[in-house]
Amino acid sequence: MAVHDTESGGNGFEPKILVFACNWCSYAGADLAGVSRLQMPANCRVIRVMCSARVRPEFVITALSKGLDGVLVLGCHPGDCHYSEGNYFTRRRGLLLQKLLQYVGIEPERFQVRWISASEGAKFAETIGQVTDQIKALGPNRSQNGMQPAEPGDS
Amino acid sequence: MEKKKITKADVTRWLDQIAEKYELIGPTEDEDVVQFRPVNSGAELTLDYANSLIPPKSLFFPQVEGLFSFQKRGKEIELEEAGPLERDRVVVGIRKCDVESLSLLDRVFLDDVEDALYKERRERTALIALACPTPPRASCFCTSFGIDPLSPKGSDILLTDVGEVYLVDVVTEKGEQLVAVAESLFSKVTEKEAQDLQPPPVEMPELDLSELREKLETLWEDGYWEKLSLPCLGCGICTYVCPTCHCFDISDVGSETDGVRYRCWDSCMYNDFALMTSGVNPRPTKRERIRNRYFHKFSAFPSRYGTNYACVGCARCLVHCPGGVEITEVIKDILAKEGVSEG
Amino acid sequence: MQDKLREIVRKMLSDGDIEYFVGYCQGSEAHRIVPCFVTEESEVEKLVWGPLCLQNLSKYVLRTRDLDGKVGVLVKGCDARALVELIKQHQLERDDFVVVGVACEGQVDPRKLERELGVPLEQVGGIEDGGDEFLVHVGEETRKVAKEAVLRDKCFFCKHPPSFDCDYTVGEPEPFTIESDRSEFAGVEELEELPLEERRAFWRKQFERCIRCNACREVCYACYCTECLFDRNVPRWLDRPPLLEENEIYHLIRAVHLAGRCIDCGECERVCPVGIPLSRLYKKVQKDIAELFDYQAGMELETVPPLVNFDLDDQDPFL
Repeated sequence: MAVHDTESGGNGFEPKILVFACNWCSYAGADLAGVSRLQMPANCRVIRVMCSARVRPEFVITALSKGLDGVLVLGCHPGDCHYSEGNYFTRRRGLLLQKLLQYVGIEPERFQVRWISASEGAKFAETIGQVTDQIKALGPNRSQNGMQPAEPGDS
Repeated sequence: MEKKKITKADVTRWLDQIAEKYELIGPTEDEDVVQFRPVNSGAELTLDYANSLIPPKSLFFPQVEGLFSFQKRGKEIELEEAGPLERDRVVVGIRKCDVESLSLLDRVFLDDVEDALYKERRERTALIALACPTPPRASCFCTSFGIDPLSPKGSDILLTDVGEVYLVDVVTEKGEQLVAVAESLFSKVTEKEAQDLQPPPVEMPELDLSELREKLETLWEDGYWEKLSLPCLGCGICTYVCPTCHCFDISDVGSETDGVRYRCWDSCMYNDFALMTSGVNPRPTKRERIRNRYFHKFSAFPSRYGTNYACVGCARCLVHCPGGVEITEVIKDILAKEGVSEG
Repeated sequence: MQDKLREIVRKMLSDGDIEYFVGYCQGSEAHRIVPCFVTEESEVEKLVWGPLCLQNLSKYVLRTRDLDGKVGVLVKGCDARALVELIKQHQLERDDFVVVGVACEGQVDPRKLERELGVPLEQVGGIEDGGDEFLVHVGEETRKVAKEAVLRDKCFFCKHPPSFDCDYTVGEPEPFTIESDRSEFAGVEELEELPLEERRAFWRKQFERCIRCNACREVCYACYCTECLFDRNVPRWLDRPPLLEENEIYHLIRAVHLAGRCIDCGECERVCPVGIPLSRLYKKVQKDIAELFDYQAGMELETVPPLVNFDLDDQDPFL
């Protein structure tokens, strides 16, 4: 997947960030941010999921390996899960995954989990701003690999 | 055929000079694994080795190769095909079994429909073969297929390690051109001297395979395949390390508007190899898949191309199989079969 | 010990307790011991036991699901951890198979042995246990090799599931111990201490070599899915060409899928033809799980696996 429109890095760099937002809290929080007309950077693409626990680790790994610059998972605050306990699983998985990604050389900022409730429109906007800034500062995620047709000599 | 000799130190110098004119490829060791890789000088090569993990077939039929890239802009589609080789190539250190495997692959890629990428690589590559050491590896069994590990057939030059020096057989015109790169490093060898230096024939345990195909073809429904499939794990090692396996898959990588069409090795040991869109799988279990592998090597290939068996006795599959399936034992089992047995 | 083993297997077969027995037999070279499936009493003599019985045969027990009868299996203490997990993960019932536990005095890492001896493995004529050392026959001579130098990495930290009952035992299966100053997660810690860029370079070099033969997946006891997500076409998680980014996806997804299930049998690393140090990847996850959730896979039948469980007081770095 060629996801980079801008390869420039540094100042002109506009990262692409994938956001998974839980239907019950964080997506509503995003809505609230929208209707409140809060300003935030346009680098995030939001995918609504029914629960933050729906986000399987392979979603994150594939997104990052295919060249997205960051992945943000948003869920209800612990204790507030619509399904009572989904986000407790997210918490464990997220922590393990972040450590693993760090271990293979992916900056921890590129994969984050945050808790945002339906009433936290301002926190949503603030989080998006913060994460975008962090990733901008890191620069583009790894370059695309091997996407050119090999010459017959390459093996 | 002309015989010469060259000292080991001079071989490195000779290869250095070849590397200036050609793309030089040969066995190199990295993290304990010997593989054929392009090098810039002779010193990077590991010439005292048994054999490479991945056979040099990968230099002609790589595990992954881009066929073309595509870009869609509006209604326009732009294609860019894989270009020709930048330079002529020289492969040094190839063993006789692997040289022999290329003549089998030639049938697949050059008979009937010619494969342009394979053809380009074959025509623009010279082979400097390396005669096998005495004694050979314990698992080797190329002589069973009538292959002489000391023979220059199929290569452009053959080097035979005889201690301080290599004996050099210059077989083809391409070979002569390579020697001409640094003619002064070679010295002439009289016929008498060559005979004295030539190592004795390589001895290895030999299997009589004259009845193998006939015998095998009676065993399609035999219970043997079920039992043989038990230790098989269904990985693709045996096919990937096999110098004669040549199955590939074609897939697009990228998006609908930007991407590359690749060809890459596939393995008949994988569950999805023969799986059809309808969900039907003609080889649904490991029994059918492992049977297919042996039938292809010893029956289907020779029948299709009128060649010898599609195995060159390199024993790579035997050495690397994680389930311990040993092709020599399978051959012995088949030959020892009297009639068909139940599963 | 071999005689005792053969006697047990002969009895099981003649009593009709099992359809076949999975053990080890001699391959075509002395150093190569291969899995062996004994269906007839006449084949029982093929069974062997020694320090080169490397394969984790528990993987083969999964096939019992397709059989009417039972399968018998020879397991080392470390391999029994796979059986514990398979029962825990509802893949097998304890009654589906018959277990013969064997006393193990440590297993040899063939790559280390070859390096230590300085001769090709094919020249090894046999290995015997000699307490703190192995007696290795090379040609006419018998060479003594310290266990410390050639043991498989996992043997330094041998762990048996304490509550798992074997149906039969050969010798007394006790966790193997050896004096050594190694620490279990040293390989992981060494990498953890490197700067991020160097870690990335290290793993990219490893993943780049991968030929995606799938051997690590197929040999893994925990890979029992009817259809692996990597083989799925819709949605397609992984493209077939073994390009670096695809290989990275393959290995990282495997690592997270094995979280809390990897028993460190080391089979993936052993079978990898290109020598990727996969243990260093999986052990990282093991280490984190041990530290964060105080859990070790394959040790107890009762404890709940960490990723299907939670604690209200779990560490929360995401607030």
